[in-house]
Amino acid sequence: MRNGRGSVTKQRPQSFWGTTIRLFRYMGRWIPGIVIVLVFAAIAVILQIKTPKILGKATTELFKGVLKGQAELKAGIPIHSLPVDFGKIGQILLVVGIMYAAAAVFNVIQQVIMNWIAQKVVYQLRRDLKQKMQHLPISYYDTHSNGDLMSRMANDMDNIGGTLQQTLSQLVTSVLTFFGVLYMMLTISGWLTLVALLSVPLSLVVVMIVAPKSQRFFASQQKNLGLLNDTVEETYAGHTVVKTFNQEQNTQEQFEKHNEKYYRSAWKAQFVSSLIFPLMNFVKNLDYLAVAVIGGIQVANGQVSLGNVQAFLQYTNQFSQPITQMANLTNTIQATIASAERVFAVLDEKEMDESADAALPAKTADAGNVIEFDNVAFQYDPKTPLIEDFNLKVKPGEMVAIVGPTGAGKTTIINLLERFYDVGSGQIKYRGENTTSVSRPELRKHFAMVLQDTWLFTGSIFDNIRYGRENASDEEVYAAAKAAHADTFIRQLPDGYDTVLNEAASNISQGQRQLLTIARAFVADPDVLILDEATSSVDTRTEMLIQQAMERLLAGRTSFVVAHRLSTIQNAENIVVMNHGHIVETGNHDSLLAADGFYADLYNSQFAGNNLA
Amino acid sequence: MMRLARKHLDWWAVVLAVGFMIIQVICDLSLPTLTSDIIDKGIAQNDIGYIWQTGGKMLLLSFIGVLGSAGNVYYAATQSQRMGQRIRTSLFKKVTFSSTEEFETVGNASLITRTTNDVVQIQNVMVQMLRMMLMAPIMLIGAGVLAYVKSPKLTLVFLVALPVLAIFTGTIMYFAVPLFKSLQKKIDRINLTFREGLTGVRVIRAFNQDKFEQDRFEGANQDYTQTGIKVFMIVSLMFPVITLIISGTNIGIVWYGGQLIASQSMAVGNLVAFMTYATQILISFMMVSMIFVFVPRAQASAARINEVMDLKSKINDADQPVSLADTQASLTFDHVNFRYTGAEELALANVNFNATAGQTVAIIGGTGSGKSTLVNLIPRLFDPESGQIRVNGTALTAVSQHDLHQAISITQQKAVLFSGTIRSNMVYGMPDATDSQIWHALDVAQASDFVKEEGGLDAVVEQDGDNFSGGQRQRLVIARTILKRASVYIFDDSFSALDFKTDSLLRQELRKDEQVQNGVTVIVAQRVSTVADADLILVIDGGKIVGQGTHEELKATNKTYQEILDSQLRKGDVVDA
Repeated sequence: MRNGRGSVTKQRPQSFWGTTIRLFRYMGRWIPGIVIVLVFAAIAVILQIKTPKILGKATTELFKGVLKGQAELKAGIPIHSLPVDFGKIGQILLVVGIMYAAAAVFNVIQQVIMNWIAQKVVYQLRRDLKQKMQHLPISYYDTHSNGDLMSRMANDMDNIGGTLQQTLSQLVTSVLTFFGVLYMMLTISGWLTLVALLSVPLSLVVVMIVAPKSQRFFASQQKNLGLLNDTVEETYAGHTVVKTFNQEQNTQEQFEKHNEKYYRSAWKAQFVSSLIFPLMNFVKNLDYLAVAVIGGIQVANGQVSLGNVQAFLQYTNQFSQPITQMANLTNTIQATIASAERVFAVLDEKEMDESADAALPAKTADAGNVIEFDNVAFQYDPKTPLIEDFNLKVKPGEMVAIVGPTGAGKTTIINLLERFYDVGSGQIKYRGENTTSVSRPELRKHFAMVLQDTWLFTGSIFDNIRYGRENASDEEVYAAAKAAHADTFIRQLPDGYDTVLNEAASNISQGQRQLLTIARAFVADPDVLILDEATSSVDTRTEMLIQQAMERLLAGRTSFVVAHRLSTIQNAENIVVMNHGHIVETGNHDSLLAADGFYADLYNSQFAGNNLA
Repeated sequence: MMRLARKHLDWWAVVLAVGFMIIQVICDLSLPTLTSDIIDKGIAQNDIGYIWQTGGKMLLLSFIGVLGSAGNVYYAATQSQRMGQRIRTSLFKKVTFSSTEEFETVGNASLITRTTNDVVQIQNVMVQMLRMMLMAPIMLIGAGVLAYVKSPKLTLVFLVALPVLAIFTGTIMYFAVPLFKSLQKKIDRINLTFREGLTGVRVIRAFNQDKFEQDRFEGANQDYTQTGIKVFMIVSLMFPVITLIISGTNIGIVWYGGQLIASQSMAVGNLVAFMTYATQILISFMMVSMIFVFVPRAQASAARINEVMDLKSKINDADQPVSLADTQASLTFDHVNFRYTGAEELALANVNFNATAGQTVAIIGGTGSGKSTLVNLIPRLFDPESGQIRVNGTALTAVSQHDLHQAISITQQKAVLFSGTIRSNMVYGMPDATDSQIWHALDVAQASDFVKEEGGLDAVVEQDGDNFSGGQRQRLVIARTILKRASVYIFDDSFSALDFKTDSLLRQELRKDEQVQNGVTVIVAQRVSTVADADLILVIDGGKIVGQGTHEELKATNKTYQEILDSQLRKGDVVDA
């Protein structure tokens, strides 16, 4: 939606040829097809170029008959109709007709094949990009905006597809037409060709004058549109603020200023860029009339035939077309290669190391540590170490509460446990095994998370619950829904478990989504549970249900809980207190209170200072 | 679309655009006629002088033609942009001045799209209309007439060519348009799946569902590709076949025209001209049919815009508004009931309370219990169904909204800042505030420390206040609210983003602030600690006031309040001060 926000997409590729060659390699499998396309396009062009001259012969033939007839009339020979050789004209027209038809057939075949190839190539690119995404580390996702990646998948792919589909054959057609027409003109008359060629430098001058201006105006139009859209977004987002502060009039005036600025740049951009058509048309007309006059004189002098002049006039029209087209194509191609470059940039990103494959010991009921942090150090950014020398042992069934103010970096622990990020040094052990020596999927089989961000995919409720474990039976899914207190509301929906969740999540409430994520975790039946306690974005009743469901899910499991509730914190065997990304204290409720540190401060400021009890 | 055009286009400019276009078309169409003159009179009669003379005429016409089309382009460019500008202005005005209820019926995101993309869409179609769409019919008529003049009999060729072209284009569109629509849905599906893969990457990996996601995407990708191949196969037919139809027409003209020439009912030169006209007629015809593609697209945008323009406000000023009493500040809710439009149940039932200057009213209750709804009634973002709300003793409906808003200063749940500087945001409610007043407000709001760190009052605030954290934005917004001189100060859940310590300090400072204490303070909160020291606490549950009184009273007697207290404090955990 933020398309206007001054985002200047790179239009020029950094390594034009490198990227082009790489893009062509994608088409490697279809080289025979491309050869056919190019050959057919060439044949069609040649046919199209030849036809005016042949059709011209028919006119010449007609004219001959007319002149002959007029001569006969002058000589006083009475004739009903002019002596035109219709047999010959019929033959010519037949040949021309066949050539036109053949050109059409070749063109259709050529475009169908090219389109097929383009679709397949883009299909392959999309697939590769999607596949690449699953091998990129989470840090890549965290450091690149979704909007940017989306634009690579949507806009850039679109650009590449469109260009492959049209530009390639257009390029061939334009170049061939240009030289073909030139050749045909030369076969008719060198002088006339020289006249016609005058249009080339003229066209170039027009393009060279107009194009940079139009680019400049477009850039300023784009910039002003961005500013304008920003104003709109900002004002609408703050609608009630604007209203209650009585700023409607001021905001309106500000907006009109931006609007006027946009208008000024927009009409200029529109005008100058549209002006190229009349100007090119003018050049074409000049050319046309020059050929008509000079050609006419030459016909009158008997130097060329009338049919040839007629053909030549048609060629002049065809001649100016490829020049403008090629000018447009260079822009399109540059933009496309830049797009391809952006897609390839993602494909070239460094992937996660996925070589670890040690087996995990079977889940046993021994009393050893389920999770052990052993001298763990970690930082997102090498310059700011966040966690240093962190040690923690978690026994089966124990709960670890992670507490701290908003933005304190509580999710860092989750990132490390799930191996979304790997520790800088030290080890995290799961049942005695260093987690980095196990493959991630193997490790994650033993974990499940319920986050506040209730991500569900667009699909049925049933499939979303089963997402927890692929091979879960139907009964297990229903049981999980019941355990998560989700069964009742699901059955009340018109389509029950088959209800398809939509993207905007408008068909079920936020709290209900949370219940589904809990059901999903039930299905996974994990050894270790990672939980982010919901704050109050849901109604009271649902909040209660969520609370109960979470407690049931926690029962008997080893868990890490990002805690907001005092009761959770007090029940936890271990509390990890975080602030500004650092682990500042660890211990249990009583020991931390006794230590009188950050935790005690946090606790007291909420509950002690107000005489509440 | 027509409605928007009538209202926002200058008719004289449209007339000029049409005029210039006619000039351009006449000149363009004269060239082939003059060429045929060269052939028939110049060449056939060997009159070189005539050829030169005609050439001169053609040069002049080309020149006039380019001026004509430049004029048309000028008016097309300025008019379409002017129209866009005007639509945008009136839309923006309508939206900013609309009531919250109207605003919410359409929704923020959709309103933005309507003001930006939809208007641009209309602008673009308007340019096309004023240029191509205008040219095509004029060209069609002009070329048709000239062709007819050259040879009425030969015009019969079009009786065959035009229907063939029409049927062909119609058939292609008949098949391609629905396919294009489904193609759009399929590309949306690809993007949706890919986006879900981005937003849900942690969940996907945590549950080892990479392969499932890959398959889901693969399905969407294949589906799109197959339809894409089909659609573009049909489109591939389009241009080669149309070229073939035009060429075929030319062949027909030469054959049939040849017969006419032989029977001396037509001159040779006319044949050449006729062929040029034929091409122009067929191409114009094609362009006219493009209108059926372009216009519906703009039509949809126009309908969305008109829908906004047609919204009617339910909240209007009294015909003869009185001014707000300049007495001591007070806020009264008198048997207030409120219901959201179309809702079955009351969102607020029988709310009664009264507060005077220096008092703090706190509202506590679960999410969705109606706390925000209650405070939204005070600035008349919504009107109650029955009952009366009075500020300083005057009913809200009796004063103008402008005066009312002047007397109220509000901080909402969502902290909204505007791009600019700290200063420009602070003085939003009080344009003549001095620096020391601003710093005082920042002090009270516990915001002066980080403002100093950022570089003082002229520090830049990015769009949406993106360069500040949630807690910092909240404090800036609170400062803005305090700075404004008002009778009622409202803090709608504004303290929840603050940590407990800041929350408590801020409330202490508020208590001491003279300007705020001259008014009534309304605080909406979730934490008991935030509301405990208020003069009057309203406990709200399911839209009803289930208890009202001080902390001590409610703690002793009110069940809901006790429950809230319990959920936030471990039972029996006595924390003494």
